[in-house]
Amino acid sequence: MPTHAGTPLIEARDLTRVYRRPRTSLARQGEAVHALREVSLTVRRGERFGIVGESGSGKSTLLRLLCALDQPTSGSIRFDGQEITGRPERALKFLRHSLQIVFQDPMSSLDPRMRVRDLVAEPLVALGEPIGGRVTELLEEVGLPASAADRYPHQFSGGQRQRIAIARALAPRPKVLVADEPVSALDVSVRGQILNLLADLVDELGLTLVFVSHDLSVVRHVCETVAVMNNGSIVETGPVDEVWAAPEHPYTRTLLQAVPTLEGLL
Amino acid sequence: MLSVEGLTVRADAVELVREVSFDIAPGERVGLIGESGSGKSLTALSLMGLLPEGVRASGTARLGERELVGVPEGRLKDLRGREVSMVFQEPMTALNPLMRVGAQVAEVMTLHGRSRAEARARAVELLGRVRLPRPEQLARSYPHQLSGGQRQRVMLAIALANEPGLLICDEPTTALDVTVQKQMLELIAEVAPALLFITHDLAVVAAVCERVLVMYGGRVVESGPIREVFARPRHRYTEGLLAASKLTPRGTRLPTIKGSVPAAGRFPDGCVFRNRCPYASEKCQTEPALTGDGHAYACWHPAD
Repeated sequence: MPTHAGTPLIEARDLTRVYRRPRTSLARQGEAVHALREVSLTVRRGERFGIVGESGSGKSTLLRLLCALDQPTSGSIRFDGQEITGRPERALKFLRHSLQIVFQDPMSSLDPRMRVRDLVAEPLVALGEPIGGRVTELLEEVGLPASAADRYPHQFSGGQRQRIAIARALAPRPKVLVADEPVSALDVSVRGQILNLLADLVDELGLTLVFVSHDLSVVRHVCETVAVMNNGSIVETGPVDEVWAAPEHPYTRTLLQAVPTLEGLL
Repeated sequence: MLSVEGLTVRADAVELVREVSFDIAPGERVGLIGESGSGKSLTALSLMGLLPEGVRASGTARLGERELVGVPEGRLKDLRGREVSMVFQEPMTALNPLMRVGAQVAEVMTLHGRSRAEARARAVELLGRVRLPRPEQLARSYPHQLSGGQRQRVMLAIALANEPGLLICDEPTTALDVTVQKQMLELIAEVAPALLFITHDLAVVAAVCERVLVMYGGRVVESGPIREVFARPRHRYTEGLLAASKLTPRGTRLPTIKGSVPAAGRFPDGCVFRNRCPYASEKCQTEPALTGDGHAYACWHPAD
């Protein structure tokens, strides 16, 4: 854990993102869609921060902005004290170093024609860093044998592919790992393995974790803090145990009641 | 009502589903749970006669007086959508994007011999029955104008159109948001005549069904009343799956099942779970039979 643990690492202020629908008439502009409305959040160093919402809540838009894969219509994001909005890609190299993403579906996020060795090394190549023995080291960190390096993604199961995606994300030694629904596409019996692995890595490497999910119970297992999104806004945020035990916003309550559980039965 | 016996599905030499047997009584809701590759969808597709090219089913499945397995396509066309119907996971790909939804609901009725006018009127009625708002207007919209939950309700209306004796749902809510899922599950439980409900989600199956079949490696490894199976699993796979489904408090390790689900045809012989089972012994090289009255399991070293 870095010594300045607890200081803000990501600070987003009043983020708004408006998309335009394609125009349907020559006379009028396409309709405006407010995907994000004045969203603010702070992720502290070493924190495990969860973002929960259903489809259309704006969680993916928010994530894209935090990773500087998209620009907000208005608002600002400071990463480690530096403004990241409005910068050209070449001025974002520090962010690409410090923040890496694991996507939901390891089948579509890994190029099927690349060997695992090249997939894992690619971020280093892109950032112009030496590779050395890093691939083997990374594969070991995520619990894959060194022999995996010479194989292709399709030769692995879903859970193993997600391990490859995690190894790839860890390659440039990031400070922040952003995980977008990393276990939603996995079978239940494998889900636990990946969640355990993420928890271990975050601990061992002193990472900050931003974890996006539609499932509040998964977020509760993984994160300390949660932000609940609905309709482009954060409707409730706070320590996950408090939100879970005593949700304040009506939407959070609806969400909690809707989640089917086994508890009543067992 | 439905009686399946010794259902086996193969693709060439690879056995994908082996000797599956179960019954569904009228009005009963039965869940079929399993992870990907367990053979649960193939089991359902063979009841519908919708297996992909090169995949064949053998054994018997009788729905009332009629046989569903190994029947020529001509006869199946009569049964499908009338005696048995199915709701699939992805309502966007199951609906025709170029056809108004009312016409799609009506089509399944005209195909089975109703007049067009009658079918149209009944289509609107059905859309109302699956609790879609303003069904007359909604019948004139196209699938892309509806939300995911609404589309899935349209699929359900199509499935119920000819009042089938058996409804099969294959992961009908997996693509939906949780708040929408809840309403959809309540609706399915309410309208289904007799139900075979396929899912990988244990909590979902518990919300809808009375009885459950647990599949792994193409076999039913455990079956019984849902409360009993979930409260007191006997097969080590069911036990592991239930443990893995519970999310323990933060900072604790989640229980896991070691390894991953093998690819089709790569399951060990004898007990299909033995290469991942912490209790496996030499005995497990022989295949255990599914035994037990009511609550049955196929395991040499059952949990107590």
